[in-house]
Amino acid sequence: MPNTGFDAVASKIQHDSTFVGMLRTRSAETNIDPGLRERLDSVTEYLDRVTDVDRPFLSVLLRTQGRRLESFKDALLCLTSQTDQDFEIIVLEHDVTPADSQSVRKILERLPPEFLSRLQLIEVVGGGRAKPLNLGLAASTGRYVAVYDDDDVLFANWVESFKATSATAGGRLMRAVTANQKVSPEPWSDGRAGFRSISWPRPEYPERFDLLQHLLVNHSPFMSWAFPRALFFSYGLRFDEDLAVVEDWDLILRGSLLCGVEDVPALTAIYRRWEGGSSSYTQHSGMDWKTAEQRVINRINSSPLIMPRGAMESMRQMVLYNTALDGYRFLFAGTSLRRPFNSMWNLARPGFNFAVRLRNRLRRIRQRTGESQGSS
Amino acid sequence: MVETRSLSVQSVLFNNAPQDISRAGLALANSVSWARQAGLVGDWTLHLGDCSDVPVFDDGHLAELLSAVTQVGGRLDHTVFGRNLGSAAGHNALATRSTSDLLLILNPDAKLAPDAVTALARRVDGTVGMAEARQVPLEHPKDFRQSDGVTSWASTAAALTTRAAFDKVGGFDSATFFLYCDDVDYSWRLRLAGLDIVYEPAAAVFHDKRLTVTGDWPAGSAEVYYSAEAALLLAYKYSRPDLVRDISLRFKKNGEPLARKALAEFERRRAAGELPDQIDHMHKVGQFVGGNYAKHRF
Repeated sequence: MPNTGFDAVASKIQHDSTFVGMLRTRSAETNIDPGLRERLDSVTEYLDRVTDVDRPFLSVLLRTQGRRLESFKDALLCLTSQTDQDFEIIVLEHDVTPADSQSVRKILERLPPEFLSRLQLIEVVGGGRAKPLNLGLAASTGRYVAVYDDDDVLFANWVESFKATSATAGGRLMRAVTANQKVSPEPWSDGRAGFRSISWPRPEYPERFDLLQHLLVNHSPFMSWAFPRALFFSYGLRFDEDLAVVEDWDLILRGSLLCGVEDVPALTAIYRRWEGGSSSYTQHSGMDWKTAEQRVINRINSSPLIMPRGAMESMRQMVLYNTALDGYRFLFAGTSLRRPFNSMWNLARPGFNFAVRLRNRLRRIRQRTGESQGSS
Repeated sequence: MVETRSLSVQSVLFNNAPQDISRAGLALANSVSWARQAGLVGDWTLHLGDCSDVPVFDDGHLAELLSAVTQVGGRLDHTVFGRNLGSAAGHNALATRSTSDLLLILNPDAKLAPDAVTALARRVDGTVGMAEARQVPLEHPKDFRQSDGVTSWASTAAALTTRAAFDKVGGFDSATFFLYCDDVDYSWRLRLAGLDIVYEPAAAVFHDKRLTVTGDWPAGSAEVYYSAEAALLLAYKYSRPDLVRDISLRFKKNGEPLARKALAEFERRRAAGELPDQIDHMHKVGQFVGGNYAKHRF
C-alpha cells in the first residue's frame, strides 16, 4: 500500500522545488490513476537523481565591460577574500575595447596564483546584457550559479551563507539580503578613474522573498541569488537575450515560480548605486525599460503558473485589499497613481519615508531594549 | 625616480583562526611581490606578535606562511608575547625588531589587494607620515580631500608609515591606549610634527566586517568598552575638558554598563595620576565631530 495523501508529503515538499512539490502532491492523491502516479514519480525520481557532488559549489559569472576597472578590482578582492573558496569564477568580458581588455588582463594576472587556477576569461562580442551570461552558463560547472556585476561588493560570507543554506534549500533558488550604498565617481589623486562611497549601506529590499511583490517589480539585485544548476540544465531555462534590460528580473521570476525560493538569513552583499556616471539606468531609455518589462510580463502571463506553498494566504489577503480599495480605483492608471495624485504623492513621499524610517528605528530600539532587558 | 625601501609588515595576533592568518599572508605576499617588481620595496619581513593565551599557530600553519613569504623574498619573524599587550604596545614591541624604512601596520586577517602595497608605498614620502588603505566591503566614512587624500587620521587596520615618522613621535602611545584610538592619536601626533595623513583609495584591503540583516553594526563588548575608554582618554589628551565632561555625563546617564565601567577606569587613572600629558592646546589637529574624530561623509 503506497503511502499516499497530502499529509504524507507535506513535510517532504518543504525542501523541494515548487515543481517537484507539485508532482509529489499530485502523486499523493488517494484516487489518482496508478499509471499517472507511476509516471509522475518517475519524473520526481529523475529530478532527485541529479547529484552534483563532484562539482564546485558555486559558479560565479562576473560580468565586466572594462569601464570601471577600480571597482572590478574590488569585485575580485571580494571573491579572493571569501571565507569559503569552493567556487569557480568565469569573467565575462563584454564588448570591451582592446585597451580596456589589456587592462582587464593585467588586473587578472596580478591575482594570487592559487586563485587564478579557478578562473576563466571569456570574451563576448555583441548582444545584450544576457548574452555573456548564457555563454558563462555554458562554461559553468558549479552546483549553483550566481551572477555578480563588476561594480558591486560582497561580504566575506557570501559563498559561505549560500552553502550553509543549500543544506535545506533542496532544488530551490536561494536569496540573501543585499544592502544599497550610494557611490559617486571621482578621479583619485593619481588621476585614475575612481569613486567614493557617500552613504552607509542600507538594506532597503525586503529581508524575505515575496513572490507576489516581485511580480510587480524586482526587489532583489542579481548577486542576492544563487540559482540551482538544475534550473538551467534540467529545466532548460536560459537568460533572455532579447531583453535589453531586466534580464535578472526575468530569470528570478521564471526561476522562483518553477522552483521556489529559500531565504538566506544573512546580509551578504552591497549593491552600489552610482550617483552620476554611466549605469544601466542611464544607458537605456525609458522605452527600453518599459518594452523589456512588458516582455517579461507577457511571457509569464502566457503560461500557467504554479504558486509556492504559502501563496494561498498572501493571495487571499491581496484580493481582500483589492476589494477594499475598489472605491479608490479612480486614483490609479495601471499600477501608477493618476495625475495630479502622483504629484501630490511625490510631494508627500519624503515626509512619509521619514516617518517610516523613524518608525523602523523606534522598533529596532525597542527590540534592542527588550533584548538587553531580557538578557540582564 | 623610484626609491626602493625596506619594509616591515606588522600584525598583532589575538585568538585568531590560523587559516585566516595564512590566507591573509598569501594576499600580503602577493601584494608585496608586485611592489617589489615595481622597485618600490626591497627587503621585507612579516612580523607576527601573538598576544593570545594559547599561541595561534601550530607548526603546519606556520610552515605554510613561511613558504608564502620566502617565495617572494621575505622573512618571517614570529614572536609569542604570552600575554595580551593590546595593539599599541604590540606594534611598538614589533617595531623594535626591525630597522626597515617602512612599517605596514596590518590587521592580521586583512587581505590586501594585489596593488595595495604599491599604491601605499607610492604615497608615503617626505611629507606624508602615514597612508591608509581603503577598506572593503565597508569603507571608512571619514572625509578626505579629493585632490590629495589628506584626512584627519588613518586607521591602522591597514596603513603604511615611515620609520622616520614612527621614531619622530615615539610610536604608539601604549601607556594611554590599549585597543582603540591608538591610531587616531598616532595620526594626530604625526600631524603636530608637521606630517600629513592621507587616505589612499587606490590601495584596497578586505577587512572582514559584517552587518546584521537590518544593516546594523554588531559591536562586541571589547569594542564597546575600549572605544568608550579611548574616547575619554583622547578628549583628555587633546585638551578638550569640555568633551571629557560631556562624554562622562553621557556615560553616566545612558545606563550602558560597559561605558560606565570605562568611565570608572578613567576616573581611577585620573585619581592615580596616570592620565597622559595634555597636548594640542590650540586644537590644531584634534577633531571631535559628533563622536567621531573626523568629519564623516555619511
